[in-house]
Amino acid sequence: MNIPAGHVMIVAAVLLATGLFGVIVRRNIVLVLMSLEIMLNAAALAFVAGGSARGADGQVMFLLILTLAAAEVSVGLALVLQLYRRFKTLDVSAAASMKG
Amino acid sequence: MMTRDLLALGPMLITAGGAVVLLLALAVCRSHAFASAWSVLVLAAALAAIPMTWPGAPASGDLLNLLAIDSWALAFWGIIFGSALVVCLLGFEYFRPLAVQAEEFYVLVLLSATGAAVLAAADHFATVFLGLELLSVSLFALAAYRRDQAISIEAGIKYLVLAGTSSALLLFGLALLYFHTASLRLSGLAGPLLAGHPDTIALYAGIALVLVAMGFKLGLAPMHVWTPDVYQGSPAPVSALVGSVSKAGAMAFMVRLAGVTLTGTPGVRNGVFYGLLVLAIASMFTGNLLALRQPNIKRLLAYSSIAHMGYCLLAVLPMAAGAALDRQAVFYYMLAHAVSILGAFGCVCAASENGREAQHVEDYRGLAWRRPVLAGVFSLMLLSLAGIPLTAGFLGKFYVLASGVRNALWLPAVCLVINSGIGLFYYLRVLGTLYQREEAESPDQFATSTAPSALLQPSPQLLLTHLTLAALVVLLIYFGLMPALASLPM
Amino acid sequence: MALALAAEGPIWPLGVYFVLVVVLAAGILAFSYVLGQRHRQQATDVPYESGMTPTGGARLRFPVDFYLVAMFFVIFDLESVFLFVWAVAVRELGWAGYVEVLIFMAVLLAALAYLWRSGALDWRASGSKPAPDKERGQ
Repeated sequence: MNIPAGHVMIVAAVLLATGLFGVIVRRNIVLVLMSLEIMLNAAALAFVAGGSARGADGQVMFLLILTLAAAEVSVGLALVLQLYRRFKTLDVSAAASMKG
Repeated sequence: MMTRDLLALGPMLITAGGAVVLLLALAVCRSHAFASAWSVLVLAAALAAIPMTWPGAPASGDLLNLLAIDSWALAFWGIIFGSALVVCLLGFEYFRPLAVQAEEFYVLVLLSATGAAVLAAADHFATVFLGLELLSVSLFALAAYRRDQAISIEAGIKYLVLAGTSSALLLFGLALLYFHTASLRLSGLAGPLLAGHPDTIALYAGIALVLVAMGFKLGLAPMHVWTPDVYQGSPAPVSALVGSVSKAGAMAFMVRLAGVTLTGTPGVRNGVFYGLLVLAIASMFTGNLLALRQPNIKRLLAYSSIAHMGYCLLAVLPMAAGAALDRQAVFYYMLAHAVSILGAFGCVCAASENGREAQHVEDYRGLAWRRPVLAGVFSLMLLSLAGIPLTAGFLGKFYVLASGVRNALWLPAVCLVINSGIGLFYYLRVLGTLYQREEAESPDQFATSTAPSALLQPSPQLLLTHLTLAALVVLLIYFGLMPALASLPM
Repeated sequence: MALALAAEGPIWPLGVYFVLVVVLAAGILAFSYVLGQRHRQQATDVPYESGMTPTGGARLRFPVDFYLVAMFFVIFDLESVFLFVWAVAVRELGWAGYVEVLIFMAVLLAALAYLWRSGALDWRASGSKPAPDKERGQ
C-alpha cells in the first residue's frame, strides 16, 4: 500500500498540534516534557516524509533530531529533579514567582 | 582541501576542543581558577584565530555544504567569542563567593559559544538545528545554574519549555521547506524559490514557523514573554550571555534567512517582509512601553533588549537589495548592543555581593556617591543603550536608521525615532536614581531593601570585574568614535 | 480494508464470530456468578491468593540516582545511532570517516570519564545523601 507523503505530513501536523496543546494546557512538568517530545517527534516524522522520495537526507535529519531531543529532555529531567527538590511538587505553576 | 577546511573551522574547533579538554581536566582535579583561566585562554585563542581565516574559506568540499564560513560568519564569531570571553571574566568573581560548584559554568559557556558560532555560520538545516540546540541546551543549564535559588530554577524551566517549543516549531518549519523545495540547504532554498515553483501552503507555513522560532530566540515582540523572566532569574553573567552571544548567533542566522527568503517569489517576499515589519514595530513598542515602569533592573534590561532587537530588524528588512551597507549596519548594531549589555550586566555583577544580586533599581540609589566610578561606567552603558552620541550604541542606531532611510522604509524608521524618545525616559530614570543623594538614614529604606548601602560597599575582591568593565568602557568609546569595524567587507 | 474484505467474501461470519465472543464471555461470567460457591477468607482478596503474600505498597519512592542512570543511558544509547550510520557507509567514508568516528568516540569517552570522576556513577551513594564531591574525588 502506498501512502502519499502529503498524508504523512498531515499526521505530523496533527502530532505537532497535539504536542503544542499539551505544552500549553498541562501543569505537570513531566507531561510538559512529554508534549515537547511529541512535538520534536512530529518534526522528525515530517522530515522522514519530506525525504521519502528523495534519498536518505530526511532520515539523517531524523537521527539528528532523535539524539538532540534526548539531550534536551535529559537536561529537562535534571531540571525537574531540581524543581521537585525545591518546591516539593511537579506542578509548574509552583514556579511562577516572577512577574512584571 | 583538508587543511583549508580545518583552518576555516579553526576558531570553532578551538572552543569545542577547549570545552572537552576542560571537562576532562575537571574529571582529574577541580579548580575554579584553572577552569576560568583555561576558558579565557581558549576564547582568546579562538578570537586570535579569526583574522587568520579571514576573509573566509572559498566553498570547497563536503564540509562547506554544512557551514558557510564567510566574512559575515567570521565577523559574528568575533562578537560571540568576545562576549563569551567577557562573560567568563565576569563569572569568576561572581561565582567565587557562592556555594555552588562553579567549574561547569565555563564548560557550558564554551559550549554555548560554539553553538552560537555554528548557528551564525549555518547554511544547512542540520547545522541550523545543531547550533540552535547546542546553544539553548547549554543556556537552560546555565539559567538554572544557581540551584540555591528558586528563581534560577524557575528561569531554567521557563527557558526549557519555551526554547524546546520554539526548536520544535523551527524543525517542523524546516521540514515543510524541505518537503517543498527538496533541498536541505539554506542557500539552496533561493534557487527553487526563484525558479517559480508554485507556492504551496507548505512553503508559507514553513517560512512562518521558522520566522516565529527565530523570533522566540531573538525575543521579538509577540514571542518575547520568556525574556524578562530568564534575564531576571538567571545569574547576572548568564543574563549577559543570553543578551550577547545568543542574540548575536540568532541575528546572524536571521539575516541569512531574510537574505534568502526576501529574494523569493513575490508572495514569499511580501509575506516575510511584512511579517518582519510587524515583528520589528511590535518589539520596539512592547519593549519600551513595558520597560517604562519596571522596578527590576534585570527585567528592565530585558525589555530594553527586546526593543533593541526590534530596532535591529530595521536593517534586516531591506536585505533583498543585498546591499553590504545594510549587513554592516546589522553587524555594527549587534556589536554595539553586545558591548553595552555586557557592560550593564557587568555593573550588576560588580554591584552585587555575597551572592545577593543588586536587582532592584532602588539598590542603585545614590551609587554615584558611594562608588562614583562604577556609577560612571553604568551611566555610560545606559547612555549607549539609549543611543546617546560618542557611544557605540549611537553609531549602531545611526547606521540602522540610515539603512532604513536609504531604503525608504519610512514607517519603521519613524517608529525607531519615536521609540528612542520613549527609551530615553527609563534610561534617564535609572540614571537619575544613580545620582540621587541617599536620604540620610531613612528608616523605611532599610526596611524595604536589605540595607543597600551596606551591600554596595566597594570591595577589593572585584578587581577582575572592574578591569573587565574598564576594557568594555574603552571598547564602547572606541566603537563610538572610530567606526573602523563598520566598514568590514561583508 | 473493509471494501477489500467484502470483495473476497461475505462479511457476516465476522459478525457472528463477534456476537459469539460477547455471548461466551458474558455467559462464563454470569454462570460462575449464579452457580459458583462463595467464600470469604483471609487471603481471598490478596493478589496472589495461594502464592506469596505481598509486602508494602507498589507506590515506592525510588532513589533519585535511578533517574540519573536512566538519563545517562538514554544519552549514550542514542549516541550509538551515529555509529550505525557510519557503519552503513564505512567503505565510502574511508579513513577520514574512521578518524572522525574516533574523535566522536573520544568526546563520548571524555563525557563518561567526567561522569565517573564526578561521582555520578557511584552506586554506593544511592539511597543515602551523596557525599560532597571533594571528599570522593580524592
